[in-house]
Amino acid sequence: MGTNGNGVKKNGMQKSGIRRNGAKNGAHAGIVVSADERGALEIRDAYRGKHLLVTGVTGFLGKVWMTMLLDHVEDVGRLTVVVRGKKGEDARARFDWIVESSPALRPLRAKYGSELWTIMAEKVDVLDARLVEPLCGLDPDAAAELMKDVDAVVHFAGLTDFEPDPRHAIDANIHGARHAADLAALSPSGRYVHVSTTFVAGLRNDEIPESIEVGVGPTGVVFDPEEELAALEAGLVGLDKKSDRVDFAMARGQALGWPNIYTYTKGLSEHLLEGREDVVTTTFRPAIVECAQNYPFVGWNEGINTSGPIIWLLGTSFQRFPAKASNHFDIVPVDTVSRAMMVVVAAALTDSARPVYQCASSHMNPFTYERAVDMSGIALRRIHRKSEDSWERNVLARLDSHCVEDVDREQVLGFRRMRLVARATRSFLREFDLSKNLSPKLYDRIDGERVDADLRSFSMKCRTADRKLGQVDEMLRQYRPFIWDLNYTFLTDHLAEEDERLSDEERVLFGFDVPAICWRHYWVNIQVPGLDLWSLPLLRGEKVPDDEPLPRPTSEPDLRQRTGEVPIVRPEDVGADGERVAVAG
Amino acid sequence: MSNPTAAFFRVEGTLIERSTLAAAAWLASNAQGLGERVARLGNVALAAPFSMLGLQSGASGTRLTWMGVRGMSEDRLTLLGEEYFEKYLKDDVLDVGKELVKQARKQNRRIVLISDNIELIVGPLAELLGADDLICNQLEMRKSKATGRLEDPVIGGNIAGQWARSFASEHGIDLGASWAYGACGADSLLLSAIGQPCAVNPDRTLRRLAKDHDWPVVEK
Repeated sequence: MGTNGNGVKKNGMQKSGIRRNGAKNGAHAGIVVSADERGALEIRDAYRGKHLLVTGVTGFLGKVWMTMLLDHVEDVGRLTVVVRGKKGEDARARFDWIVESSPALRPLRAKYGSELWTIMAEKVDVLDARLVEPLCGLDPDAAAELMKDVDAVVHFAGLTDFEPDPRHAIDANIHGARHAADLAALSPSGRYVHVSTTFVAGLRNDEIPESIEVGVGPTGVVFDPEEELAALEAGLVGLDKKSDRVDFAMARGQALGWPNIYTYTKGLSEHLLEGREDVVTTTFRPAIVECAQNYPFVGWNEGINTSGPIIWLLGTSFQRFPAKASNHFDIVPVDTVSRAMMVVVAAALTDSARPVYQCASSHMNPFTYERAVDMSGIALRRIHRKSEDSWERNVLARLDSHCVEDVDREQVLGFRRMRLVARATRSFLREFDLSKNLSPKLYDRIDGERVDADLRSFSMKCRTADRKLGQVDEMLRQYRPFIWDLNYTFLTDHLAEEDERLSDEERVLFGFDVPAICWRHYWVNIQVPGLDLWSLPLLRGEKVPDDEPLPRPTSEPDLRQRTGEVPIVRPEDVGADGERVAVAG
Repeated sequence: MSNPTAAFFRVEGTLIERSTLAAAAWLASNAQGLGERVARLGNVALAAPFSMLGLQSGASGTRLTWMGVRGMSEDRLTLLGEEYFEKYLKDDVLDVGKELVKQARKQNRRIVLISDNIELIVGPLAELLGADDLICNQLEMRKSKATGRLEDPVIGGNIAGQWARSFASEHGIDLGASWAYGACGADSLLLSAIGQPCAVNPDRTLRRLAKDHDWPVVEK
């Protein structure tokens, strides 16, 4: 296939619609299983005794999914979770902290109490590994040994920032996925479930199908994924400044039809994976994952997710939010996504999955920016009324934002003008000396020192306002494609089909519940209060509380020793200098 | 076996003190934009003379009252309705009204609330009081936004005896043995159609009528 200098080639390879079935290495290719032939899907049966290798369980979605799996499918065989040590903590300590204190695991702690440590030791192996390294840093023999009885690799890990350093995005979203797939390729079945995003749809404005056309970008540009990755990485070499790297990657992504680095790297990763013959890839694309409806508990959220900054902005004195009122705001609660993921992995484990699943709301129960902004006003004022801050209680509680779309964003919000005013005021006040401009008598009469202090304080406020306006302007620039330019409808027929395959009993736990979401209740009573509790404090530089630590049974080493995870070391085995001198099994 | 009986309550005056106009004004004052609030309040204010002059008894006054919420979203109106109930109605149901509802339930009467307010406002109240039926106005919605019109039939300040007879016939209710509670002169049409009328905290007009017809009067 001929290509141009940018890795763009003449035509693409279509891969869409129906799942390949069965074993890897081409044996499955071309086998077509229709929806009717697939029959019932028993979720618990599908997981029973299975060994899964999972990445990204420390993330928002990964944690909820793991909790749901261990809570509802007690017969699952084993999970090997790939965790990277961070901030001086090794992988085990990081994972144990999650077990001990993460609110996402509340259902498990409530169900098992301290016995959860035993359950975790029996069911979960923590693998300290780095996804950015080939075979996740394992040597080939160790990797082969690890993967010999793994039934599927489930890859949640990824970097979700819109415009990160492209090197990090490539590492996390492309190489990380490839290396996880490489491990999957070593397993007998080659099953690989890849968590992507619906926003790989890129710069399109229509119904987005649950399929992928390998080598064809969102706007129809044909390219070679391998050559595109090589060109991207080569282009980044020598760019020392992050901003230059971001500009370079943005330009390449936009040329192919992806609006930012996140969607570009995620999209490219999908193309690279679909082109592989050594794994059976099932791609799962959630839309904007937000606060839990019910599981692990009402309102749970973690980190600064997509709608957090929007809700923060709506809770300030900005009343004019630049969004197309009728555009879909494709929110999906994290437990809905987790339920769907339970089904998709089960379908993959039974070799009856579709190649691509989208988990979104815009198709079957659309929610719009107009409704979100309208109801956010009501939800936020309920929060502001209870605030101890008099500005929030007396002023913000009486203001509501609304969508504006009749004029250009710059004119509507006047960010540049407001920043200019703030800067000019700050600059003037910094130079201004009241004592030089007033007679000493008048200066004393008006308590000049106090006025000077007030002016200095106001000058600082102008600087803060200038900085905040800059942040908001930048945030809106990054969000603009999704709140203004593009109006997607992500088709979700495949999840609806899977829903039909579930038994009534399992549908209650794992069914696709998007059509039943009452957005009014969800937005006002769950989403906005949930963000207020779990996300907005992070935007203000504050911390969110962890749960009360789960007591460890006796001591953690004893527990891990019981399961054979680490050798037993008794006091008498330790020499005077602390060096271990003998080990008993 | 005799037909069941009902207790008809005119909500405004017998159960709550706040008028329909107050609810409409509150909704209008909680519209999305500041300018919008002023405009909507002005619109609702047009209905104030009808109310003050006692002309709101007709459906036209009621229609005018709700014109002020035209264009407001169903989401916002529903949520504001919940807030209005929590803030102004939930804890302010008149003691005398509560007692009368309690007695009616004890006597196994079907409890029917009648209001010229909208369902979004009085729906939660009916639920709170355990009413069997709520007869009130519905805002017409188009594309999830209020058109400013009320769905037919519009319940005005006065509700005709004809309506009560139709209701009784439809539900097999013995109107002669049923009770009706009203608070203002406009309620006299309803009261006179029911076998056992009762004036609750009556205004001057209804007090005079009650005296003329020898209807019982209950004060708070």
